[in-house]
Amino acid sequence: MSRVKSLSVALGLCLAAAGAVHAQDAAPVELKLWHAYRDSEEQALLEAARVYKEQTGVQVTPIGIAFGAYSSKVETAVPRGNGPDLLIGAHDVLSKWQRLGVVEPAGEDSTAYRAGAGAALELEGKRYGYPLAFKTLVLLYNPELIQDPPTDTDALLAAAKAHTGGGSFGLAYEATAAYYFAPWMHGFGAKISGDDVHLDSPELIAALAFARRVGMDEGIVPKSPTSELMGSLFDEGKAAFVISGPWFAAGRKRAIAAIPLPTVSQTGLPALPFLGVEGVFVAGQAKHPGEAAKFAAWLAGPEGAAIRQELGGQAVAAKDAPPLPDTLETSVIRAVLAQAETAILMPTDPQLPNVWEALEDALRKVMRGAATPEEAAKGAEQYRKVLSRPPPEAANPVPYVVIMVLVGLGALVWLCLPLRDPNVRQEIKNKKVDYLWVFPAAVAMLALVVVPFVAGAAVSLFAHSQGEWTFVGFSNFLNIVLSRDWPVTSPLSFYYTLVVTILWTLTNVFLHVSIGMGLALVLREPWIRLRGVWRALLIVPWAVPNYITALIWKMMFHVQYGAINALLGFGGEPAQIDWFSSFSMAFSANLITNTWLGFPFMMVVTLGALQAIPRDLEEAAELDGAGAWFRFRHVTWPLLKPALLPALVIGSVWTFNMFNVIYLVSGGQPDSSTEILISEAYRWAFKRDLRYGYAAAYAVLIFGVLFVYGRAANKLAGKKVL
Amino acid sequence: MAGLTMRGLHKRYGETHVLKGIDLEVDNGEYLVLVGPSGCGKSTLLRCLAGLEEISEGDLLIGERRVNDVLPGKRNVAMVFQSYALYPHLTVRQNMGFALKIAKRPTAEIDAAVDKVAEQLELVPLLDRLPGQLSGGQRQRVAMGRAIVRQPDVFLFDEPLSNLDASLRSHMRVELKRLHRRLETTIVHVTHDQVEALTLATRIMVLNLGVVQQVGPPRELFNRPANTFVAQFIGSPSMNILPAQGDEKGIVVDGVDGAIEHHARGPIELGVRPTDFEVTDDGVWSANVDVIERLGAEALLHLELGPHKISVMVNEPTPIEMGQTIRLQPRVLHAFNRDTGVRIPEPAGATS
Repeated sequence: MSRVKSLSVALGLCLAAAGAVHAQDAAPVELKLWHAYRDSEEQALLEAARVYKEQTGVQVTPIGIAFGAYSSKVETAVPRGNGPDLLIGAHDVLSKWQRLGVVEPAGEDSTAYRAGAGAALELEGKRYGYPLAFKTLVLLYNPELIQDPPTDTDALLAAAKAHTGGGSFGLAYEATAAYYFAPWMHGFGAKISGDDVHLDSPELIAALAFARRVGMDEGIVPKSPTSELMGSLFDEGKAAFVISGPWFAAGRKRAIAAIPLPTVSQTGLPALPFLGVEGVFVAGQAKHPGEAAKFAAWLAGPEGAAIRQELGGQAVAAKDAPPLPDTLETSVIRAVLAQAETAILMPTDPQLPNVWEALEDALRKVMRGAATPEEAAKGAEQYRKVLSRPPPEAANPVPYVVIMVLVGLGALVWLCLPLRDPNVRQEIKNKKVDYLWVFPAAVAMLALVVVPFVAGAAVSLFAHSQGEWTFVGFSNFLNIVLSRDWPVTSPLSFYYTLVVTILWTLTNVFLHVSIGMGLALVLREPWIRLRGVWRALLIVPWAVPNYITALIWKMMFHVQYGAINALLGFGGEPAQIDWFSSFSMAFSANLITNTWLGFPFMMVVTLGALQAIPRDLEEAAELDGAGAWFRFRHVTWPLLKPALLPALVIGSVWTFNMFNVIYLVSGGQPDSSTEILISEAYRWAFKRDLRYGYAAAYAVLIFGVLFVYGRAANKLAGKKVL
Repeated sequence: MAGLTMRGLHKRYGETHVLKGIDLEVDNGEYLVLVGPSGCGKSTLLRCLAGLEEISEGDLLIGERRVNDVLPGKRNVAMVFQSYALYPHLTVRQNMGFALKIAKRPTAEIDAAVDKVAEQLELVPLLDRLPGQLSGGQRQRVAMGRAIVRQPDVFLFDEPLSNLDASLRSHMRVELKRLHRRLETTIVHVTHDQVEALTLATRIMVLNLGVVQQVGPPRELFNRPANTFVAQFIGSPSMNILPAQGDEKGIVVDGVDGAIEHHARGPIELGVRPTDFEVTDDGVWSANVDVIERLGAEALLHLELGPHKISVMVNEPTPIEMGQTIRLQPRVLHAFNRDTGVRIPEPAGATS
């Protein structure tokens, strides 16, 4: 009976759906939509899909993807036909997506949009998507503290100063991020996109000086604020103003209001932020492009906009969206919409990432006081020029291929040389079955180690720029090894980083071994109580995933809120050590973190090795009159050494390539000076304009250094340890 | 060179009482063997002497000096460990010179001292080898050599021969005896092997459960064991102990016919060594031969004496066969208090 009932319900649904789509297509259409929205924006999207299904019978399934993984997933899956029908993305990735075939030109669109949002999604005269919403910076404030928000920077600074003190800050924003610096830049009339970009222009220097004044000298901005920190400061009523976007306002526990950014008093120009226009796109190779375009137009149009505005709190682009009442709740959306009218559309210039990187470098230097605005701007301009330099000239691959093939053949012949010996052949024949058993593992090694290694090494012979691969031979290596782009003493040169990496490895391994061994020796003492508990506790740092530990230490090193500075205050006022402002301090912070992570391994190895040393030997030495140090130096240590040496080699290789700690704790600060080779390679690959070839050359050099080190360590030990 | 004095020495590990009041004077130049079953505390006592274990109570003097709180390295004692404890990463020469090196003696002096001892112990060809390249006996000699080089006041030997095979062990026993005669240094030697104790010692101390059972020269321990424990521990094969009653007519073993003249009265434990029997037709006891162990020059008879089992040593060749009944006469008797196990002293003027 129930089967009959459910069947009839299904039938009825099918009929209704068929009627709704005018029975063009018997199969029900399902549209997949990829997005990186969270919280209320995602809720709004789900609601819109539900409403759309009710109206048209077309099922739209939004699929959320983590923000950090979004673009790489889109860029790999969609061009291979594994993508959805629809995508949500910002206008500044459009040109890249168009080039990769991620998006299709859109169809008819009758909706009118605000602030040139439509034009933002046009490329080569074609419209590619449907504008959904604006993302830009506004001046957010706590309406309980501020009744009359300022409209110029002098008034802003004065008001902020009045609300600073006693753990409260007048203004919170990410003062060292280029995106947050952009409004001051525009307020002083500087430009960073277009044909004629110069980062050492007087306007930019003035903007840097102003940023320094606001961010540091006035003392109104908390140091190195993260969005979490700013959020909690605001929620506790300890931040009067915040420069951020609508995303900051979402989920606040306290009333929040906003107005557009103020005018820069010195110039009378408005501080204009960059504007991002978010759109919904029909994906390349969509299964139902027609239906997808219809839904996209609907979502961008008045009906979809109403839902997104109401539920998602979005500053929607559609002109015909329902009007917003003049209340506190809508204050942020209204401010974003007002700001969108004047804000500067984020450039889609392919050189922008290089400018961005150079600009941020200068900004950090100025903020830290490591350089005057003039010096920093000059350095930034130089940095930008090197970064924007066209890739090395294409080389003729033929000689390389010939050499590679010869080397490969030579290696193969060399490997097969022993086969000339009939005894060896016989031996192999006798052990045919054994070789058969080893075969799968050999294939796995080949596929998982040898092939990626060769492929990676091959990449180092190419240059990658703007999606183009050029064969350049050894010029990546020559650039790195001859340090053609930077003086050897620059933190960006290979040799500087190599020296830092070696220093990093030596200091770490020394501390790991001495602390680990010291603890192991103490844990062995008969008077220690609760030995097992101590041992377990001391192994904990090793058991916790190292990125978690690194993030915790990063927080503990925070200049204003970190536990370390609080401890160094010895109960009084916390110390004011800025751990990431100088090489030695940042290096120490990394070192402390990695020592915490690294000593348990050496302790465990030492404990194991000590088990193998008979107690008699030390007692004999004790009877011979040897003191503790002599016993250790002449009895324990020589016997520990053979067991510790392999651990030492492994430990130093791990440390040499300890990406997580460097990336998460100091992040290379200040000025990439605490970067080690592996994190530097990462930056070349992913942060400095996707120079994969250059990064691969770094990786090959790292391999070379470690290979030489491994061989040397073997020789030193007089036996094979690896 | 110096003697040793132990006064009321106690050692406790928490609740465990390992040494229960050891009192002993060891004269300079004595060869004292500490013997007892495993777990009796003999190794612990040795480690207390060395300073590797703290003394819980009592005094320890080396010569005239109280050394309870003196570090092991400052006591001027040298120890030979059961495992030899040779430093595996050092050559024989370096091993032997280690203590002198710690004492910061000049290299020439160290070399001379090592060479001299190496010559005495026939170690010269081994001086540049590592311990891992030596045989067990050679390692043992190196360990000895390392101790000798130091010229200590006291040698401490912790079962030094127990890791050697039987023939090497008997050879080394003789070597040790010679060594002691030549050096005339005080030696304290721990072993569980009573043969080692009897052959080497000038005095033996028998320990059981942390209590001294008897101290004396080997002959005395053998001839006049102070109690049934010493009686059974010293001498091989072990002494026969039989429950018996003594009165004017003599001693009668429970459940066995025949009285033997003796001064002991009342219920006692009667001890007779297997070597102290005579098989003779006019023997007082009649026993069945259960098993015969033929050892070459001698044969050990396992007999059923009434309800008791005893062992008797006879010279070979012997006509005795298994299953036969023979008559026995015990020649030397030891009488012990049945309750305390303590020896009942001989009347004055009697000889053993």
